[in-house]
Amino acid sequence: MNGRVQRMSFQQFMELTTTLLPLLLVMAVDSTRTVAASSSNQQCGNSLQQTLKLTRFVQKESVLLIKTYKAAQGEMSELFCKVSVNDVPDPNISGLEPSERIASIYTHLQAFMAHFKRVYEQQTDLQLPSSPLLGELTAVSSRSRDLAALMNGFYQSLFPNLPMPEPAGGPTMLPPPQNVFQQKVYGCAVLRTYKEFLSNVARELRTLKGKVCRRRMETNTFLLRMT
Amino acid sequence: MTKSVRVLQLLLLSCFTSAPPAAAESGNHLVTAPHPPVVEIGTDFTATCMIINTAEVTADDLYWKRAQATVPKEQYTKINTTALNVTIHVSGERNEWLFCFCKNVSDNVILNQGKFMHGVLLQKGYRPRKPENISCIALQEETIISPIITCSWDAAGRQTKDVATNFKLIVKVINSIIVNVSTEGNSASVPLNTFPHCMELEIWVEAKNKLGTIQSERLRRDSGYFVKTDPPANIQIISEKSFPTSLLINWNLPIISLYVGLMYEIRFCQNGSHDWAYVPLVDTARNIQSFRLQNFRPDTVYVTQVRCKDHREDYGYWSEWTSNATERTPEDQPKGKPDLWRIVSESDVGERRVQFVCKDPVFANGRIIRFDMKVQEQKDKVKNTSWESFPVNRSDHSSSSTLKDVLLADQSALKVSVTAVNSVGSSAAASLFIPETAHELAPVRELRGGVHGGQMRLQWKPPNTAAVTEYVVQWVSGDGMDWQRENRSTTHTVIKGDLRKFVCYTVSVYPIYSGWTGQEATVQVFLEQSAPEEGPAVRLHRQPGRNEAELEWTEIPQSSRRGFITNYTIFYKSGGELHSVTVPSNTTSFTLRSLTGNTKYDTWIRASTAAGSAEGSRHSFTTLKYAPGEIELVVVGASLGFLFVVVMTMVICISKKETIKKNFWPQIPNPGESTIGYWSPDYPLKAETPKENCLSGISVLDVDMCDGKMVFDEDKTSLPLKKDKYLSEEHSSGIGGSSCMSSPRQSVSDSDEGGDPVDTTASTVQYSSVVASNGYKGQTPSSQAAIFSRSESTQPLLDCEENPDMLVQEGSRHQRRPADNDPAHFNQLLEMEQQEVLEPLDFCPLEEDSELTRTDEQSADWLPTAPASSYMPQLGGYKQQ
Repeated sequence: MNGRVQRMSFQQFMELTTTLLPLLLVMAVDSTRTVAASSSNQQCGNSLQQTLKLTRFVQKESVLLIKTYKAAQGEMSELFCKVSVNDVPDPNISGLEPSERIASIYTHLQAFMAHFKRVYEQQTDLQLPSSPLLGELTAVSSRSRDLAALMNGFYQSLFPNLPMPEPAGGPTMLPPPQNVFQQKVYGCAVLRTYKEFLSNVARELRTLKGKVCRRRMETNTFLLRMT
Repeated sequence: MTKSVRVLQLLLLSCFTSAPPAAAESGNHLVTAPHPPVVEIGTDFTATCMIINTAEVTADDLYWKRAQATVPKEQYTKINTTALNVTIHVSGERNEWLFCFCKNVSDNVILNQGKFMHGVLLQKGYRPRKPENISCIALQEETIISPIITCSWDAAGRQTKDVATNFKLIVKVINSIIVNVSTEGNSASVPLNTFPHCMELEIWVEAKNKLGTIQSERLRRDSGYFVKTDPPANIQIISEKSFPTSLLINWNLPIISLYVGLMYEIRFCQNGSHDWAYVPLVDTARNIQSFRLQNFRPDTVYVTQVRCKDHREDYGYWSEWTSNATERTPEDQPKGKPDLWRIVSESDVGERRVQFVCKDPVFANGRIIRFDMKVQEQKDKVKNTSWESFPVNRSDHSSSSTLKDVLLADQSALKVSVTAVNSVGSSAAASLFIPETAHELAPVRELRGGVHGGQMRLQWKPPNTAAVTEYVVQWVSGDGMDWQRENRSTTHTVIKGDLRKFVCYTVSVYPIYSGWTGQEATVQVFLEQSAPEEGPAVRLHRQPGRNEAELEWTEIPQSSRRGFITNYTIFYKSGGELHSVTVPSNTTSFTLRSLTGNTKYDTWIRASTAAGSAEGSRHSFTTLKYAPGEIELVVVGASLGFLFVVVMTMVICISKKETIKKNFWPQIPNPGESTIGYWSPDYPLKAETPKENCLSGISVLDVDMCDGKMVFDEDKTSLPLKKDKYLSEEHSSGIGGSSCMSSPRQSVSDSDEGGDPVDTTASTVQYSSVVASNGYKGQTPSSQAAIFSRSESTQPLLDCEENPDMLVQEGSRHQRRPADNDPAHFNQLLEMEQQEVLEPLDFCPLEEDSELTRTDEQSADWLPTAPASSYMPQLGGYKQQ
């Protein structure tokens, strides 16, 4: 009698265990995944935050650079800096999807770096070697490289399976040889456009911060539920 | 397991045997392996020695040597008959050889020893250790942060000369470039194009040598973590008159906030002090460029400094401090009371000279330009005295100002009130009461002073009598004086003044009873003692004696003592012998005793304090040969002795007068009393007359040889008179007193006048006895002295006596031989005298006598001297008689 009662209790226990075990497993995995998602989301946020910080920094630095540039060009600098030039990159970010827009930022940065190089070469002929403009141009160019590197890293972290697309228009188109005035106008247009571009980038990154990193977390959670 | 090891060794062997073709080609029969470039110190190293191209020796014949020492066989492992392993522990840092040798088993081996040896060079080193404590910094360069990042680290572990460790500093900008630089030291700088603001850096160091490579921990930080900016620029400090307790500081940013957002730290202190006070960091907000410092003291110079760093916590390094920004706060009305005190000194009888001195209030809040003072005698309380102003002379660097001197009678009491005035206002009044001398309240008890920890400390017990409100501690040294106040509960304190070492301070403690000063208690203290600056100058108090000398010296001047004199040590030295005597400090003279007479002494004095001693100048003196009075004593003694002798002689002479008289002045019979005088028929009465002048009937003349002539003149004048009067006696005298010089002359002249000497002599013969006397011997020992004693006998002369020829012969004999007491001889002498009387030439005057001396050689021998020397004392003797 006692043995039978014991056997029944054991069976009930086993049934209960069989029912609860998958649930416990799901909870355990879910918690693990949640922690992983949270960590990944934090990493995304940090990466985005650092990119945004550098973007703001470069933007402010570009403002200073424009001041320095104008000061270095002599009279009429305010005037010719208002002239629009066709051979500079578009400050607007293209694409619909975040990946496309991030890739657009990246390719724009690459393009601006080529233009900075041209401006630097031109100003090297126009300025004294000790001119602060040359140093600031170098600095902005370097930071553009850094910003591009951060964008690439951010892109890779968000979309590891999507290679960074090549520029749509092929290699960057630089302007043909110019006279001094044209060089001055060109350089100022590049800097001014670059500043505008960085403003757009900062705005875009702020948008992405709430869109990409949260979605990534949601996507991860969804994938976990499916399993 | 063992099998597998063995298999591995065989594999190695096969490799080795194929590896050293060079050895084989060179003809060596032994080959060692391996030949590692470096062996690690502290590990075991195994080498193998193989026999090739010969069967003459086996592995049993091999042995290993390391640094001239054979490796013990326990460390060998025989692989096979042609291979021998050895395992050694690598120690020491010097390179060394490990040789494989072959025993001399055959003549071939002996003759080809070079072919039967092979070695391994052991170049030793340490495996690199992981560099630690990496720190990097990027300094501000002009207006930006320098792109050069400089890092330093601690190289762990050791290196050897041959196996040096190289380091590679690697800086990686995350998601961007990576730059490295190599160095042998512990620091390096990595140049970047620009400083990577807003980027993460990963920095590490790789240590590498022949034994391996190892990396340090990676330092991953935001680039702002390494930034060190310049200090804030153009710091200014502003004093505003309406805010006497605050100062405003302004500065410029050292770098634009785009690159580094800064936070600041401000510190300040009073000028001259290095006790900095820091403004809390929470009060110095980010990117501020001014700050108001508050709660300062008015009219005080403050020094302020500022520094900055990245505003983020743990980011960046603090910059250096700015240079000093110095400013004085504005003046304010004095707070508190001035410190009023008095110096009392004795004046005339019944009066005191009281000098009032005053210090600025503790919170003067500005430059005190004057003190206002009111002096009020206690007897005239009703009288309203006016305030008197005393400008403060600021050129005087002393902390106190002398206000006024007051002559105060002992029976008078004063109340003095003083206020301090600066450019803004005046302070509250400080009051002090000077009581009557007789009514001064009790002093503190058991005042003691000492030095502890380089500070002068005082300790006392409060007076029993009345309630003390405070104490004044006053210290005086030379002409300097200062004081400080202590509260009523104080029983020990430290003097806070600027005391100097080696100076004697007279410290007094005055209890103050509600403003009334009590009696002082005084103690003398040195902050620190040392040896006296100079020693006392010693001198002699008076002329030194024969065995003692009294020294005296003056005390060392107070300014030169530099400590309390504990004792004096007197040194005195003669020759190489040095003596010393120690006397108490209150002694200023000392008598050295037991000195040696007629000796030169050097003496000097050493004055000692608790911390040392100093010797004074040397003084030399020479002790006397004779003690004072010693000579006098000798002289007096000698004189007394002489006197004694004289007296004794006189006493003896007096007591023995008769004996002496008898010996020296024998009784000569007076011829006048002789009965023979009456038998002269011509002058029976006249012969009596000379008795009045000459007791002995002999006229005595003091005749000097030189005065002979004068005597002759005198005699010549008186000659006619005397001829008549004394003819008979003179004639007699010529017989009996041949010693009288005048008598023979008279006799001669008498004979010259025509008298018949032969007849006269023959008719008036007198007896004379000649007595030889010792007394005469003593006077003229060489002369033939003779005493003629007149005989009273009237006996007729013998025949032989009447024969003058016989007398002449006898006289000639008598000249050659001194007279003796022989009666026969006596008779001969008598005859000789008679012969002399009879010969008129013998009694010639002195002139004639002198001529005779020159002509008659015989008479020159004795005639001139005999009468002069023999008769002179005799004349004296007659004078006394």
